[in-house]
Amino acid sequence: MRWFWFDRYLEFESGKRAVAIKNVSLAEEHLHDHFPGAPTMPNSLIIEGLAQTAGLLVGEAKNFERRVVLAKLSKALFYLPARPGDTLTYRADVQEIREDGALVHCTSHIGDKLQAEAEIFFAYLSGKLAERFLFQPGDLLTWLQILRVFEVGKTADGGPLQMPAKFAAHNRLVNGA
Amino acid sequence: MPSEAEVFDKVKTCLVDALGVDDDEVTPTASIMGDLGAESIDWLDIVFKLEKTFGIKISQSELSPEDILTSAEYVQDGKVNAAGLDKLKQRMPFLDLAKFVANPAVNEFSQLLTVQDMVRFVLSKVN
Amino acid sequence: MRFMLIDRITRLEPGQRIEAIKTLSLAEEYLADHFPLFPVMPGVFMLEALTQCSAWLIRVSENFAHSMVVLSEARNVKYNDFVSPGQKLIVTAEILSQTEHETKLKAQGVVDGNINVSARLVLRRYNLADERPDQAAADENLRRHLRGLLTILRPPEAEPAVVYLSRRKTAETISPELL
Repeated sequence: MRWFWFDRYLEFESGKRAVAIKNVSLAEEHLHDHFPGAPTMPNSLIIEGLAQTAGLLVGEAKNFERRVVLAKLSKALFYLPARPGDTLTYRADVQEIREDGALVHCTSHIGDKLQAEAEIFFAYLSGKLAERFLFQPGDLLTWLQILRVFEVGKTADGGPLQMPAKFAAHNRLVNGA
Repeated sequence: MPSEAEVFDKVKTCLVDALGVDDDEVTPTASIMGDLGAESIDWLDIVFKLEKTFGIKISQSELSPEDILTSAEYVQDGKVNAAGLDKLKQRMPFLDLAKFVANPAVNEFSQLLTVQDMVRFVLSKVN
Repeated sequence: MRFMLIDRITRLEPGQRIEAIKTLSLAEEYLADHFPLFPVMPGVFMLEALTQCSAWLIRVSENFAHSMVVLSEARNVKYNDFVSPGQKLIVTAEILSQTEHETKLKAQGVVDGNINVSARLVLRRYNLADERPDQAAADENLRRHLRGLLTILRPPEAEPAVVYLSRRKTAETISPELL
């Protein structure tokens, strides 16, 4: 199991909204425990997919300079089961970004059917909690690139989203860049 | 202009949603951080809900004066001094500080803010 | 990784409450990604531990009447601290109310006496056959599987030694001093 709970971004508007997809595949181990004979995507992992979709959006809004954590899940409601072969479309809409945190409203759809919705509060951490390194240099950038953030991403005024300068040194994907 | 009763009902809904408490726990004298169990994580949620419900703008320091309570200028030996009390009165005029003045211990402050104080605060913003 | 977020059930009062343990081990693979330099239990797995212990309470309380018990709503899920490898998360859940298909619970996870996570949950219970009658066998298989899992999570009381002896002899009580 890898801790990547969505597969790629389809749309990414800095500070505003994002759309991502998550394929549900029988190749994923957890479906065989949840449950034997009735593989169903666990709703907690759908929350994680929504939180990751929204969390990177909230992080990018501060140019990845502030540590973002999931502070509070105000509510998460589930309407339909998600099964192998389904593609979940995750949408994150920023409600507000403040100095110390952000609120994002998220939905998950199977086709045009609403599968789940959640209201997620993120906190921007300061002080000691923000100092601990989480990733090896370059890990986060590689993940963002695989998720196509810089391919589909747009800035607030509609131009293409550029990779933050501080990441450029760790770009492992393109030779000689 | 909304009446105090209307504001109270809407504030109650915000607190019930944000804190997951029961309707009947939200009485006027219930303290938000004491009786209703709000934690610092909840303030963002409460502020967002109040702003959305009443169409007002709130800065978190209006409801949660961390800066005054942690300042060496206003706090000595864990108690807020006269200058600090003045600053609090200025920052939060809707707050009934009478009890706090008798024992201005910093860690007692969080118990102070009641639902009624919040209603008064919202009324002052809406009008 | 196996999708089991509860290691042992320590207390269960049917219809009322449950207490269980989730131990966090560095051997759990997903920790390699969460995070490479700071392994901590993902918040949603803390929520899943609360969900799973709630599900076990419901299953035992209704004697596995429904094969499927899933999270339907999570509210006011608050995280106060991380859980690190080597720590034990003690999860508890208490039933607040029930309807025919839904159970409302209050749940929390504690590490070293501090509440790390708390939530209000609604779990929905159903049988696959409700929607698809041809799934009745799948329901029964799942129920059997879950009953088996329960015996791992809630080991039976230590068996008296006489049980082992009775494999060789017919049942005979042996006085404790001789054992």
